[in-house]
Amino acid sequence: MTGQILADRVEVPAIQPALVIEPNPSGAGWRVRAHNLSPAIVAAVAEYAQSVLRVQVAEAEGLDDEGPPDMPGDYEILGDGIRFTPQFPFEQGVPFRAILDLRVAGLPGLAGVRTREFLLPREVRAADTTVSQVFPSGDVLPENLLRFYVRFSNPMRRGWAEDHIAILGPDGRPVPDVLYRAPIELWDRSMTCLTVLLDPGRLKRGVGPNRMLGAPLEAGGRYTLAIASGMLDACGRPLQRDFKKSFCVSKAVRQPIAIEEWTVAPPTTGGCDPLELTFPRPLDWAELYHGIAVASPTGLPMSGRIDIDMGETRWRLTPDAPWQAGAHAIRVAPALEDICGNTPYAPFDGPFRPAEAAPRQTATRLVPFAVTPITVLAAGQ
Amino acid sequence: MNVPSAPALHSRRETLGLGAKSGVSLALAESFLGAASAQAASGEIKLPRSAGPLRSAGQMAFGPDSVLFVGDITGAAVHAFALRDKDLTPQTGVALGNFHNFEGVDLVRGLDVKLAALMGTTYDNIVINDMVVHPATKQVLLSVERGHGPSVIPAIVKVNRGRLELLNLDGIPHTKAAIQNEPAESARLEFEPQRVYAITDVKYYNGEVFVTGISNQRFASTLYRIRYPFTGQKATSTVEIWHPVHGEFETRAPIIRELVREIRGEPHLFAVYGCTPLVRFPLAALKDGAHVRGDTIGELGYGSNPLDMLTFNNPFDHKDYLLVTIDVRGASQIAVADLETAPAEQTGGPIDFGPGGLGRTQRNLPIRAEHMAILNPRWAVVIWRHPKTAYRMDLGTLMVPYFFDRRLGMAEMNWPDGPDPFQYREHRNETDHI
Repeated sequence: MTGQILADRVEVPAIQPALVIEPNPSGAGWRVRAHNLSPAIVAAVAEYAQSVLRVQVAEAEGLDDEGPPDMPGDYEILGDGIRFTPQFPFEQGVPFRAILDLRVAGLPGLAGVRTREFLLPREVRAADTTVSQVFPSGDVLPENLLRFYVRFSNPMRRGWAEDHIAILGPDGRPVPDVLYRAPIELWDRSMTCLTVLLDPGRLKRGVGPNRMLGAPLEAGGRYTLAIASGMLDACGRPLQRDFKKSFCVSKAVRQPIAIEEWTVAPPTTGGCDPLELTFPRPLDWAELYHGIAVASPTGLPMSGRIDIDMGETRWRLTPDAPWQAGAHAIRVAPALEDICGNTPYAPFDGPFRPAEAAPRQTATRLVPFAVTPITVLAAGQ
Repeated sequence: MNVPSAPALHSRRETLGLGAKSGVSLALAESFLGAASAQAASGEIKLPRSAGPLRSAGQMAFGPDSVLFVGDITGAAVHAFALRDKDLTPQTGVALGNFHNFEGVDLVRGLDVKLAALMGTTYDNIVINDMVVHPATKQVLLSVERGHGPSVIPAIVKVNRGRLELLNLDGIPHTKAAIQNEPAESARLEFEPQRVYAITDVKYYNGEVFVTGISNQRFASTLYRIRYPFTGQKATSTVEIWHPVHGEFETRAPIIRELVREIRGEPHLFAVYGCTPLVRFPLAALKDGAHVRGDTIGELGYGSNPLDMLTFNNPFDHKDYLLVTIDVRGASQIAVADLETAPAEQTGGPIDFGPGGLGRTQRNLPIRAEHMAILNPRWAVVIWRHPKTAYRMDLGTLMVPYFFDRRLGMAEMNWPDGPDPFQYREHRNETDHI
């Protein structure tokens, strides 16, 4: 007689063991449960749970004797079965297979292997992701422009930028070797804002690629930043349409940011009017949110809402609390950049200073202004 | 072999649909569908226990006593995991190949398909970020991420005699050092563009972890030196790296790959900049708050990205060499002795690739490995794409120092009766093992 007798009576279950996929109540995701097992069977197989209940990606092809691994997970022995909760949540759109193999129990009536294939459907929504903004927003950009910021309306998928973003020449054809092939795509944490750098090797005067190929853009030329609709968002959908931004190229800007040329329009006391700064040349959109702060007369930084407009030449702070009278100061970080990478202290690639020159300046620049009951035009300093 | 599953006799509210032999989607209750799609839209996924404190898994390096350092861009930190004996398995006895006949072996075939199967997804949804070899056990570890969106699922996977095993980070003694973004002096904003420091390399040397990276905003060139054991921010030095050009210009230069190496007893940092020069710094110059210029001693060539930078000892001439694998072409190999003596870029003059500079021993090697690490003096491990299949990636071995495998190239030794001037047939049956 085959099989192993575990109890006085050999149990042949009236209800066959089965596999179900059930939601995980304690969080997101799903798990697999083998049920309808009698307590005797459960006891017999408990220590072999990992070989009895296996879950795997259904389409992974084996290329050799060493087949693809099963999915790791946690096993729970239940009164009438075994439950498997995967370490990695089941991915939508991927077919999985759960295998219940009770042969190790050696009991008659439990011949065969039960398999259940399942798939969590991927929700298909119409493509509605677009490029919402590109900075710099102006349409005349200098020859030594360092970077673009491309903002998308939804989180995006990594890995598609190189093949779908290009600079086109006046003939509409891609200009080769203009954009930097970054070793890692430069996304922000939400993956809605991508930094696209022009090739620093071509921008830096005298460096190998610059000597071989020249600057990336030519002054006087007309170019287009093109983002193909094939770029995928985080849900795998392409963009709704292609995006193009055309621009003309003016001559290079190779000076430090001239803070002394800024215009400061201070607010009056008692209100929450914005403090307004205007710059003669566009500054870097992202750096404008971090690189300029306002200190109250007590020296503490003021909080409020920052608005940037007019082609990134105007910065306004609308404070949370009304302005107090007194001497305030605008603090400009030494790392603030313009759209060519120039900072308040040095141009992007500035003249070489021998090692013995004065140490690099890194202090925050201060632009004082007074808040008075009457608006007074104050020039920056 | 496969028996169609019996229909469930009880239809319970929480079970879904009926299975069949080929994939059939389940009819999901409205509320579950909503939950699943809300999860996908927000990008928030609960990370598995095995991920421990990681939120992403990037560049790795081993420190002393089996400490594994892992760069975590999403978590803005470098983690240190003190691996215990039970976390690793000695790979003694694993066959590496026939050294004299340039025959490596496949350690894992279809690595990407198998990693994806382990992580519950398909091969196109995972990325392998780095590979390291544990010095004592010779076990290969991989940092892998599932997903390409804002919320990836990270994992460290070990290769154990051809099988893949998940390293369970939950429970491994752990410390971390936060990689600080610049202090925010500006007003707090709800929608401010978020700064990310994309860690490009992590290396350990003599009690310190060296971290290089690129910012998504400032064109910054920050290098961090963090004393290990991690004791807090005071133990971090921040160095800005500058690049002098022919004595005419100077500019900031993010570092993509780095290596610390002693030259005549003095430790130096060798680095590849984003604009492709190969540079050298004495470690003593890399002080907190300093703006340091590296000596440019070579150029990798336009449009290339360095993949791995490592040194090895040539088993034939017993000299040390630097190897930089490059994404668009084969690798560059330079004698370490030449790195030491190569003159820095002269003021006003061209980079010296002549016999006096790096040209003397610089060679291009036709290696097309996406990841590479040295396993022992005769063998390297590589991850490369199979030439015939678009997606299949294999983990295999490659002999040092020629990094040539007869399975890939035509060589007279491939014919049984071909000429054998170097006596390859004498070594026909020799197989190295770990």
